Amino acid sequence: MAAGFGELLQLLADNRHLAPELILAVFALLILGLSLLVRDRRVLGWFAVLPLLLSLFLVAGMMGLLDMRLVGFSAFAGPVNSALAGGALAVDSFSLIFKFVFLSVALLVVGTSISFLSQKDRHVGEYYALILLATMGMMVVASSQNLVPLFVGIEIASLSTYALAAFRKRDILSAEAGMKYFIIGATSSAVLLYGMSILYGISGTLDIGLLSRRVGEAAWEPATIVGLSMLIGGLGFKMAAVPFHMWAPDVYEGSPTPVTVLLAAGSKKMAFAAAFKLFLVGLVAARADLSFALGIVAVLTMTVGNIVAISQTSVKRMLAYSSIAQSGYILIALAVATKTAVAGGLLHVVMHAFMKGGAFIAVAAVAWLVSSERLSGYKGLSRRSPFLAFCMAVFLLALAGIPPLSGFWSKFVLFSGAVGAGDWFVWLALAGVLNSALSLYYYARVIKYMYVDDPPADAPPVRPGPSPYTAVLVIALAATILIGLYPQPFIDVAMTAAGSLVP
Amino acid sequence: MVESSLPVLSLLVVLPLAGAIITFLLPRRLAVASRWVALVFSLVPLLLSLYLYVLVWTAPAPTATPGYLSAESLHFEEDFEWVPSLGISYTLGVDGMSLPLVFLTALLSCLAIVFSWSESRRPKEYFGLMLVMEVGVAGVFMALDFFLFYIFWEVVLIPMYFLIGIWGGPRKDYSAIKFFIYTHVASVVMLLGIMGLYFQCRDALGHATFSMVEMAKVAPTLAPGFQCAAFAALFFGFAVKMPSVPFHTWLPDAHVEAPTAGSVLLAGLLLKMGGYGLLRVAIPVLPAGAEAAVPVMVVLAVASIFYGALLCIAQNDLKKMVAYSSISHMGFVMLGAATLSPIGISAGVFQMFNHGLVTAVLFMMCGVFHHSAGTREIGRLGGLAGKVPVAATVFLVGSLASLGLPGLCSFISEFLVIYSAFVSFGAWMWIPVSAVVLTAAYYLWAAQRVLFGKFRVDLPESERGRLEDLHISEAVALGVLIALIVLFGLFPSAVLDMVNPVSAAVGGLFGGVG
Repeated sequence: MAAGFGELLQLLADNRHLAPELILAVFALLILGLSLLVRDRRVLGWFAVLPLLLSLFLVAGMMGLLDMRLVGFSAFAGPVNSALAGGALAVDSFSLIFKFVFLSVALLVVGTSISFLSQKDRHVGEYYALILLATMGMMVVASSQNLVPLFVGIEIASLSTYALAAFRKRDILSAEAGMKYFIIGATSSAVLLYGMSILYGISGTLDIGLLSRRVGEAAWEPATIVGLSMLIGGLGFKMAAVPFHMWAPDVYEGSPTPVTVLLAAGSKKMAFAAAFKLFLVGLVAARADLSFALGIVAVLTMTVGNIVAISQTSVKRMLAYSSIAQSGYILIALAVATKTAVAGGLLHVVMHAFMKGGAFIAVAAVAWLVSSERLSGYKGLSRRSPFLAFCMAVFLLALAGIPPLSGFWSKFVLFSGAVGAGDWFVWLALAGVLNSALSLYYYARVIKYMYVDDPPADAPPVRPGPSPYTAVLVIALAATILIGLYPQPFIDVAMTAAGSLVP
Repeated sequence: MVESSLPVLSLLVVLPLAGAIITFLLPRRLAVASRWVALVFSLVPLLLSLYLYVLVWTAPAPTATPGYLSAESLHFEEDFEWVPSLGISYTLGVDGMSLPLVFLTALLSCLAIVFSWSESRRPKEYFGLMLVMEVGVAGVFMALDFFLFYIFWEVVLIPMYFLIGIWGGPRKDYSAIKFFIYTHVASVVMLLGIMGLYFQCRDALGHATFSMVEMAKVAPTLAPGFQCAAFAALFFGFAVKMPSVPFHTWLPDAHVEAPTAGSVLLAGLLLKMGGYGLLRVAIPVLPAGAEAAVPVMVVLAVASIFYGALLCIAQNDLKKMVAYSSISHMGFVMLGAATLSPIGISAGVFQMFNHGLVTAVLFMMCGVFHHSAGTREIGRLGGLAGKVPVAATVFLVGSLASLGLPGLCSFISEFLVIYSAFVSFGAWMWIPVSAVVLTAAYYLWAAQRVLFGKFRVDLPESERGRLEDLHISEAVALGVLIALIVLFGLFPSAVLDMVNPVSAAVGGLFGGVG
C-alpha cells in the first residue's frame, strides 16, 4: 500500500506539468458535488475562480512570465519543455501560450458569469463545471502530439460548449444557438475524424510528428487530398473560417454572453491550436501546396467577415462577424508559415482573447445598463457611463489595430511576417492591412455612437450604481493596454513557440 | 551636436500627454478649468521648444557639413530599448530639419488653444484632444525609430476624428469617418513599406532594427527594384497626408466640417507630417527609389499646385477655398522635394513652416467671420471691412502672405522652390509659376468681395452673427502669428540656416551641389 502510494506520488511528480489540467478536472467534479449542498450561485462562481487562478499561475510560471523560484514553486519554473504520456502530450511554449489564453478567457467568462447569472437560472453548478471541463479539453488539445488526445480534447471542449450555448433553454435564441451549434459541431467533428482516419490509413501512425514524413512520401494520392480537405473543412468549421462560418453569428448572438466569450475567444482558438499542430508540424511535406489554399481561405474569411460586419445593427452580432474576420488574420500565419508569421498568429490568439473577450463583456455590461444590444442603445454612452464607453472604445480600437494597443502588435508581427516571407505572401499582408482599415469603419461607428452622439431624449434611465462587470472589464482593459505598452515578454514566448513549430 | 542632461524631447511629448490626462480626469463641474490646464501644458512645451531652438541656433556650427542623421547633426538624442527582440526602441532626436517643425507644433497647438478659449461645448474633451494631437505630431517630428514614428503617426488620427466628429459642422459624421479611413488606409500601406524596409535592412545589417539612423546608412545600398517598391508604399502614405492630387479629396471635407482650431491643427500640422515623412525618410533613405519617382513627384506636385489653385477660384465657401489653397501650397513642398537638390529641400521645409503660420491665420479668420457674420459663403458677404476693421486687416495680411507678397514669409520659400525647380527641370516650370498668378487672383477676388464694397450679409436676421470684431484671445493668437509671418519674411535665415546643413547632406546623396 505504502509502495503504491509512493508510486502514485512519483507518477504525479513526473506529470506535474499537467497539474493545470488535473486541477480543473478535479474542481469540475467538486463543483458538481458542491452544488448539491450550496444553493448560492455566487459561492459556486467564486469556487470556480479558484482553480482557474491556480492553473493560470502555474501556466504563467511554466511560460517564464513569472519567476516561480521566488515563490517556492521551482518545480514549475519556466521555460518548460517536456514530453509526457509516452510522447502523446507535450508541455512546451506553444501549448503553454494556448493554455494561458484558455485559462484567461475562462477566468473572464466565470468572472462575468458571477454577475450575469440571475436567480432564474438553474443548474448553476453544472454551468461552472462545464466551463472548467471545456477549458480542460481545450488545454489538452494544445498539448496534444498525437491525433487521439487531439480529437478527445476537441470533443470534451465541444460537448461542454454545446450544453453551455443552450444553457438558457427557455430563451428561444439560446435554444436555437445550442441546437445549431450542436448539429454543425457534431458534423464537423465527424468530418474531422474521418479526415484523421484517412491520414492514419495512409501513414499508419497517429503521432503528429511522424505523420509528416509518411504523408510526404505518399503525397498527392487521391486519398491524401480527400483526407487533407476533410481536415481543412472540419477545422474550418470549428474556427468559423469562410465558407464554413454560417453558424457562428447565430450561435454567438444567441448564446448567453459569457458563453459567447468562451466560444469566440476560447474554443475557436482551440481549433487554431489544432490547425497549427496539424498543418505546421504534421503536414510539413504538403504545406507548400496547402499554403495557397489556406491563403485564399484567409483572404475570404477576413473580407467576408468585415464586409458583413459593416451592415449589422446589433453590436453583439457585429462582434461575431468581426471575430470571423480576426480568424482570417490568424489564418495568414498558417499560409505563410515562417517563424515571424507564426509568432504573429500566436500573439494574435493571445491579444484577441483579451480584446474580443473584453468587448463581449462590455456588450453584456451595456445590456445590463441600458437593456439593449442594439447599436442605437450605445448613443451617448460616454455621458451615461464614461468608464464603460472608454473600455469599449479601447477594445474596439485594439481590434482595429490602432497603436499602441495590444492588437496592433500582433497584427504588426503577423503582417510583417508575411511581408518578410516575400513572394505572393506580400499580397496577403496587403489584404490584411486593407481589411484592418475596412474594419475601422464599423468599429469607429460604435465609438461615434458612444462619444459623438447625444443620448436620445426618451432613453430608458441608466441603472444606478457601479456595473457588476467592472472588475472583469478592468482585467481585460489592463491586459489590452499594458501588453500594448510592454509586449516584450509575450513576443519572446511567441517567437520561441513559433521556432519550435517552424524553423 | 547639442546635448542636455534632461530628456527634454520626451518632455515635449510627456507634458501635453499629462495635460490631456488631467483634463480628461477633471470632474465635470471643473470643466471650465480645463482650458487653463491646456494652456499651461501647451505653453511650457512652447517655451521649451523655443529654448531648444535658440540653443541649437547659437551652438557653434560644425566645420564640415555633417552627414545625414549623423551624430553631429542630431541634437538632444534619447535612446531606450522597447522591444529588443524586434529591434524596436524609443529613440527621439531633432536636427535642423525637424526642429523648426517641432517649434511650429508647439506654437500652433498653444495658439489654437488660446484661440478657442471660449469653447463651451464639452470643453474637457475638446482641450484634452488638442493636447493628445500635440503629442502625436510632436512625436512624429522627433521620432528616430521608424516604429515609434508610425505609432505617433497613428496616434494623431484619433483626436482629429473626434474633433471633427463632435465639434464639426452639419456633415461631420461623413467627413470624420472619411478622414479616418482615408488616412488610415494610407498609413497601413506605408506600414507595409516600413516592414519591407525593416526586413531588407535586417538581412543587410545582420540584426533587426527600426532605427532610422541605421536604416539611412544601409538602405541606400539595397537593390534599386526593392527601393522603388518601398518608396512607392511610403510615398503613397505621405502623399495622402500632404495631400497631393489625386489623393486630396478627404481634405476639403475634413476642413469644411472641422471646428476652427481643428482646421488650424489639421492644415498647420497634420499636412506637414506628410511632407516631413517624404523629406526625412522616403527620399534620403531610398535614394534610388526617389530618383526613379522624380517624374511622378513633379507631375503630382505641379498638378496639385495648379489644380488646387483652379479649385480655389471656383469655391464659394471661404473655408473651402483656404482648404484647397493648402493643396496648392503643399504642392510646392513636393516640388521642392522632387528637385532632390539642397535648395529645393530647404525651401520645401521652409514652405511647410510658413504654410503652417499663414494657413493658421486664414483658418482662424474663417472661424471669426463665420462667427461674427453667421456665414462663410463668399457670395452672401460684402463690405465687412467697415464693420470689423481689425479682422479684415488680419485676413488681408494673411491673404497677402499666402499669395506670396515679398516681405512676408511665404514669398521666400515659394521663390526658392520655383528657382530650384527651374534649375532642375527647366522651362516647363512656367506652369507652377502661372499658378502663383491664380493664387493672387482668388485671394484678392475673395478679399474684395468679402471685405470691400457695400456692406451686406444675405441672411435672415435670426441667423446673422453680432458682427463683433476680434475677441481678446483671438487677437492674441492672430497677433503672434502675424508678427512671426513678418519676422520670418524679413529674416528667413532664422529657419533656412537651420535646415541648410541637413538638406545639403540629403542633396549630397544625389550628387547635388549646395
